[in-house]
Amino acid sequence: MANVTITIDSKKVTVPSGTFIIEAAKEVGIEIPALCYDPNLEVVGACRLCLVEVEGSRKLQTACSTKVWDGMVVHTRSERVVKARKEILQLLLDNHPNDCLTCQKAGECLLQKYAYEYDVKFREHDGDRRPALVDTSSPYILKDDSKCILCGKCVRTCAQVADRQVLTFANRGFNTRIVADIDLSLEESSCVSCNRCVTVCPVGALLDKRLMGKGRPWEFEIKEVKCKVCEYGCDFEVLSRNGKNVAVRAKAPSNGRPLCLKGRLTTEFIYLDEPYTPYKKENGEFKETTWKEALGLDNIIEKLLDKEEISTGVEYNG
Amino acid sequence: MANIIINGKGYQVEDGITILEACNRLGIDIPTLCHDERLEPYAACRLCVVEIKGKGKLETSCSTKVRDGMEIETHSERVIRARKEILDLLFSNHPNDCLTCEKSGECKLQDYCYEYGIVEGTYIGEKKNYPLDESNPFYTFDPNKCILCGKCVRVCSELQGTNAIGLKDRGFDTKVSTPFDMGLATSKCVSCGNCVAVCPVGALMPKKRERYRAWEVRRVKTTCSYCGVGCQMYLLVKGDKVVGVEPAKGRPNNGLLCVKGRFGYNFINHPDRLKTPLIKRNGKFEEATWEEAYDLIVSKINEIKGKYGPDAFAGLTSARCTNEENYLFQKMFRALIGTNNVDHCARL
Repeated sequence: MANVTITIDSKKVTVPSGTFIIEAAKEVGIEIPALCYDPNLEVVGACRLCLVEVEGSRKLQTACSTKVWDGMVVHTRSERVVKARKEILQLLLDNHPNDCLTCQKAGECLLQKYAYEYDVKFREHDGDRRPALVDTSSPYILKDDSKCILCGKCVRTCAQVADRQVLTFANRGFNTRIVADIDLSLEESSCVSCNRCVTVCPVGALLDKRLMGKGRPWEFEIKEVKCKVCEYGCDFEVLSRNGKNVAVRAKAPSNGRPLCLKGRLTTEFIYLDEPYTPYKKENGEFKETTWKEALGLDNIIEKLLDKEEISTGVEYNG
Repeated sequence: MANIIINGKGYQVEDGITILEACNRLGIDIPTLCHDERLEPYAACRLCVVEIKGKGKLETSCSTKVRDGMEIETHSERVIRARKEILDLLFSNHPNDCLTCEKSGECKLQDYCYEYGIVEGTYIGEKKNYPLDESNPFYTFDPNKCILCGKCVRVCSELQGTNAIGLKDRGFDTKVSTPFDMGLATSKCVSCGNCVAVCPVGALMPKKRERYRAWEVRRVKTTCSYCGVGCQMYLLVKGDKVVGVEPAKGRPNNGLLCVKGRFGYNFINHPDRLKTPLIKRNGKFEEATWEEAYDLIVSKINEIKGKYGPDAFAGLTSARCTNEENYLFQKMFRALIGTNNVDHCARL
């Protein structure tokens, strides 16, 4: 593919034609804010935060979905661009709960990051707000619709695994929501708690429930580990606080890696100082289970005990 | 020694210490907003309340000393209910702007609200509404975020000895203020920033030159380079840039700094800062290597010494150097150059 040279904020960069502006900007160290963009996902141009000014175009263009052309001149932080971004952030905040005080996402939240960067604050208004529909049915994922900004990342990552495709958009306009299957709770739905959606959610709308109350993101020491369950080798993070391993969370899956609950639970069991109760979904209901069963080790453990007559004197009670 | 029972477990602790001190030593975490081990107990925030068997009321652990046979509950239902109530009252009269608040991430009120599950202030009523005091060039005071723990006032008076600020008025109208409420610029404030360092919330904040969130910086411990005291401090580093300074506890400064150490860090990233020696060539200073500079110094010293003798030299060293460096400097002058003409700017 031929190369083209473009100018971004008076910096020249040569990239293959067909590159999106947002990626070309990254080449020269310019970060364009974006909530719905993810290089591993289909481009949708939903959040509009990556708007940039392209000389010759009357309207602002989304940097995530506009391809470069030779001689293109882009301004990523012009007055007009900053004004548009502030407006978008303000509209998002207008329909977002003001609870960074205790929100589990605070510190890693992209909406918070950009609001700080562009100095946009919550404001009083008497318009409608998204209803606080909080799905607490799953012991693994907390889904809080009131915090959702409809970037659609969760829907797209869920759809990347053919046999999942659980999350989808429902309704239209202000009533648009992310739902599981035909608007079922996560418990009743076909969700397998792989947490792909949690890893990509830019805000606190989809949270790892097993992390809640374990500490603030800035308090954790993070160690990256590889999953040992199958050949995909997904990445997990072991979070420790005050010298104790308190939680395991999935890292965003790269291409071809599915992520799964079994992998996460196994990683929890290996690394956590006090692994908490695992749950298993049976007939649309989460039930407490034993580690033996959750990790599918029943037969192996029995055989081991049988074959090698391992006797520790301590009764194994799962 | 006193034998006490905390949360059903027996401990032996030193006589005369407070319950809070005892718990700190035993690794039992008690929340507090107004306590500082360097200051007199104040018992203002009431968050450290504990239940003591035989006492009708909850007692503040920061101001109650241990007694032999004391039975203490630090996290009973009643204690937690009281703490939640206190946090609720505090947050009800506090701006809800953790979204962009500069203190977010190191705010004690935020930490405790998270720990005790206070997601909002449930009391609806009047809220403080004061103008900000931005008259000091180094820090801002936002009375609306102040929780009246009084740490700033006490540090200023008990440790810094400046007495620039105090508490004014009573009840809901109480406010940390300067004499006649005339603002920090006209007060006796010496801008040491020790009040800023102890503020548990976002009421006293340094004026930032770079925007950063608390969780984006690394803390690098170092020794202040301004004078011979050698205060210990942390440089706040974002990426590869120093964006702030915080005092470190322990010797010699124990959490205190002066205006220079605390706020005078901008030279570090300043474009005019000298990073190599300069040698004047053809009437112009040019950047040189240390080898070149040392060679030039040695040759000039030898030249002048040969021509005019060693007493043609005088050395003046700096209080910004360590004792060891100053010792070596005078040694160089006396033994190497051969003159007693050596002095120091801090001798006066």
